[in-house]
Amino acid sequence: MDNQRCGSFEYSTPLVYLGLKLISKLFHKKYQIAVTLVIGGVLLALWKPFVLIEGLQVAGLYAAIALPMALILGIVGIINLAHGDFMMLGAYLAYRFTVYTGADPLVAIFPVSLGLFLIGMATYRGTIKYMHGAPELIQLLLTFGIAIILQQLANLLWTSHPVSIHVGYASASATIGSFTFGTYGFVYVAAAILVFIGLFLFLRRTRIGQAALATGQNPIGAKLVGINIDRIYLLIFSISIALVGAMSVLFLTRHSIFPHVGGIFTLKSFCLAAMAGLGNLTGILWASLILGLAESFVKSFMGYAGWADIIFFLLIIVVIMVGSYRRRVT
Amino acid sequence: MKNWRYIIYTFITAIAILFPFYTGTYLQHTASTILIYLSLALSWDMLLRAGQISFGIAGFFGIGGYAAALTHLRWGIDPFLSIILGGLAAFFIAFLLGLVVLHLRGLYFAIVTLAIAEIFRVIVRNLHSLTGGPEGSVLPSAIFNGDPSKVYWLVLTLAIITIIVSEVFQRTRIHFATTTIRNDELVAKSSGINIFKYLVFIFAITSALQGMIGASYTHQYAFVTPEETFHIHFTLLPIAMCLLGGMYTTIGPVVGALVLGTIADYLKLQLPYGHLLVYGIVIVVVILFVPKGIVGTIKEQLERRK
Repeated sequence: MDNQRCGSFEYSTPLVYLGLKLISKLFHKKYQIAVTLVIGGVLLALWKPFVLIEGLQVAGLYAAIALPMALILGIVGIINLAHGDFMMLGAYLAYRFTVYTGADPLVAIFPVSLGLFLIGMATYRGTIKYMHGAPELIQLLLTFGIAIILQQLANLLWTSHPVSIHVGYASASATIGSFTFGTYGFVYVAAAILVFIGLFLFLRRTRIGQAALATGQNPIGAKLVGINIDRIYLLIFSISIALVGAMSVLFLTRHSIFPHVGGIFTLKSFCLAAMAGLGNLTGILWASLILGLAESFVKSFMGYAGWADIIFFLLIIVVIMVGSYRRRVT
Repeated sequence: MKNWRYIIYTFITAIAILFPFYTGTYLQHTASTILIYLSLALSWDMLLRAGQISFGIAGFFGIGGYAAALTHLRWGIDPFLSIILGGLAAFFIAFLLGLVVLHLRGLYFAIVTLAIAEIFRVIVRNLHSLTGGPEGSVLPSAIFNGDPSKVYWLVLTLAIITIIVSEVFQRTRIHFATTTIRNDELVAKSSGINIFKYLVFIFAITSALQGMIGASYTHQYAFVTPEETFHIHFTLLPIAMCLLGGMYTTIGPVVGALVLGTIADYLKLQLPYGHLLVYGIVIVVVILFVPKGIVGTIKEQLERRK
């Protein structure tokens, strides 16, 4: 649907022309995913509105957890296989804090993010700092080791018994017509958007953010123009871990936690980061929408809920295989 | 004096075979557990020698275990035959997957194998009628009625097979091929090595070994569940053992498994929860401070003395 064919309308009505131009623009490669998602979303809203709401909320959770991982991947250049386990640690800290003080769990966001910021700093200083330039596999094994340490530490300190906190507002709901749905899950969507905008502004508008972006693009070049790249790596790693910590508090208000709760989120975050492309923050949002909607779509069929877990594993494999195929072709 | 090596090997093998005669059941049981992880660690190392890291050990271990348990349970196949069938099942699945997956390298291969192991588990959990679903299946009786010394000999046989395969890989042209592939694929390709063929071959063989080990483990405990049979332990422990002992050799994983297995068994008695912490710490500390592992470091020191 290009401009040549629009010519046969002889521009009789500018409105038609504009409309066609808009449509042809929508078929542009850049907007393909967005358009497909919007159309799919509308169809889904008519057919199974619950799936759309649930999918959106889950997508928000995934995106908010995957964004910090994409940040580490894009700038520090390390696949952090301990990502989800840092979230688990944050959730446990928040749980202890809430039980100890008796305050609302959301208050724990500040101490827990601060705590995880420091833990992230210590982790970077103690281990990851020495991994620059090491083979990829060694980096992977190292973060795998850190993940095991965190999991088993939680197992040792707090046992493997699942714990959860019940808060009244987490089960808030709204009704449109005859259709009732939980509204609290939209907190995750809000958090994801907030984190996204915050990171975007940080990376584009602040001096240190720009330096971080430059470091991610070309560490040697950044070093040449006088950026202290080690300091940047430390900062970005710690900020990402702190963001995960803040998310872990929101996670705790809705889900029960146990030492192995993080593993699946590491894999899902990695899957999203791989779908989006290295360090592409906007892509994370689209990728998590696809994953969230697909999962809740499968879950909505009675008796097939168990198969929902397989989706993202298949997605990982397909995404990586397609990526490698493209690389071989070009 | 070239023969003294073989005398030592024979001596060690004799000690290992006669082990159940002078120890109690507890030690025999511990030894079989260590031997299982030893074989897994060694089979993982064989693929690592070609520069590919697999996080899917637990997947093929579980496939072997389930194949053995189900063929024994449904068709009444003899346990020994079913162990071999478990190995064959893992071999064919690994072969078919390898044809697709081994186009990937390094990081991507590692993540995909991790995902594949998880997919196996999800499939097994959801095929209720075939596998028994999340509750798993229970076999009518353990192999040899649970006699620990006979189980030990079975596992020892598998471990010796693994060691022999590993030595064959080390002493034939496969050794040169894998080393070249690991160091520089371009050089390997230009020397006329069919990289893909070697990788698929090694991947299938090592997975078959892992499948057989999983099958014998299943027969030892006489049950399968998705969570236990595909447990992350079976990926984590071999990796830690192999890193500790030293990569790219036969002796490294063996030493690592013996040392770490003994320490871990002692710690299991002290700390029922979270004794796996040691494995995480071992992985991190070894990578940071002793990247060559125990065997590699000792060798280096000996050479420096000379």
